[in-house]
Amino acid sequence: MGEIPIRVLSVGTALPGPPIDTAALAERFGMDHLWRQWVDTFIGTRTRHLAIDLTSGERRQDLADLGELAAAQALDRAGISAEDIDVVVLGTATPDTLMPTTVNVIADRLRIDGVPTFQLQSGCSGAVQTFDVAAALLATGRYRTALVIGGDVIAKHYDVKADLAALPPDEVVNYLLFGDGAGAAVLGTGDHPGAPVVRSVLTKLSGLDRAPGQILRWYGLADRGSDEAPASEDYKAIERLVPVLAEEVAEELLDDLGWERDRVDYLLPPQLSVTMTGKIAERLAFSSAKEISCVGETGNNGNALLFFQLDRLLPEMEASSRAIAVAIESSKWIKAGLALERDR
Amino acid sequence: MTAGISRAEFVDLLQDEIGLDVGAEDLGRPFDDLSGWDSVRLLGMLVLLEKHVGRPLSLPAFLEAANLESIYEMVNR
Repeated sequence: MGEIPIRVLSVGTALPGPPIDTAALAERFGMDHLWRQWVDTFIGTRTRHLAIDLTSGERRQDLADLGELAAAQALDRAGISAEDIDVVVLGTATPDTLMPTTVNVIADRLRIDGVPTFQLQSGCSGAVQTFDVAAALLATGRYRTALVIGGDVIAKHYDVKADLAALPPDEVVNYLLFGDGAGAAVLGTGDHPGAPVVRSVLTKLSGLDRAPGQILRWYGLADRGSDEAPASEDYKAIERLVPVLAEEVAEELLDDLGWERDRVDYLLPPQLSVTMTGKIAERLAFSSAKEISCVGETGNNGNALLFFQLDRLLPEMEASSRAIAVAIESSKWIKAGLALERDR
Repeated sequence: MTAGISRAEFVDLLQDEIGLDVGAEDLGRPFDDLSGWDSVRLLGMLVLLEKHVGRPLSLPAFLEAANLESIYEMVNR
């Protein structure tokens, strides 16, 4: 990182509706006890939150609603107001509309204006990407305070009338793995005692000669009748590659910083599902680190995940402690990681 | 005696409804050597087997199976 220390001043999060457990999903989709046992064994995610009503399919909240709530909470916790924000960056795979961009809808609702705003089209690495862009801008010295936001709402892809028993596996997993949510953080330069410093941010496209592991399509008037699945996953490639890439990220961060693996106090591993996250955390083998995960309760809410992990990390991060976060995006395969240190 | 499934019916189910390219001679092969096998296939297979034998099956009990032959034996036990 550059000479100007960039700190995480606060984090905010927002989840729609009540937690939905696997039994409720099974009941809604008429799936039997074997299906529930399979979810418990191979996915492990206990609950997720959805921005739709599970019975009617009616959409209750959109990304701008959740992003606004998360950002307002982050501003409040940082003790600052909208006019203190010098730049806004949002990461999402599921903007409410392609134009206007959701970042600007959220900014408008928060009464943020007259500053640069950016929206990144991103998946599970998106939160780290927002940190990377914001940190680079803050490091120029032109700005003092950045609001970064990440979130996803999968309502468009969640057909409550679908016959899951008739869907191919690469589409069924979408109904189990994912959830909706948004998170935000305020990053700032200047003196903020107790706020952890961003020591390193890593985002690297790693997709050369690799087919996408996850595809989200969008349709317009001419191709809206497309037979292609709007959302699909190559779950076998994800299961094989994500642990490998996660290990590479951890190694690169440690090498970059000269940190010893056993001197890291908190590990924020990729949040694909409880089962996958558990396997990856074990493989990363940070023997002294406490694991900070959220996916068991939030489901995989993509661009919001890291913010939910940070929301759990910040209150318990002690003075002179270190945290490493790893996120892998399986779309065109992006490695991402973040290193935080609380110096006092 | 509880309802079961014959070996020929089991192979037909694997080929026609699960889409596995296997014959009776492949039942003893380890799952790692079985192209296209994964937990999603296991789930689909158990759902169909449950309908065939007319009694509830438990997925955790089948996780210890090393090959399709073991599953065949467990269903007929």
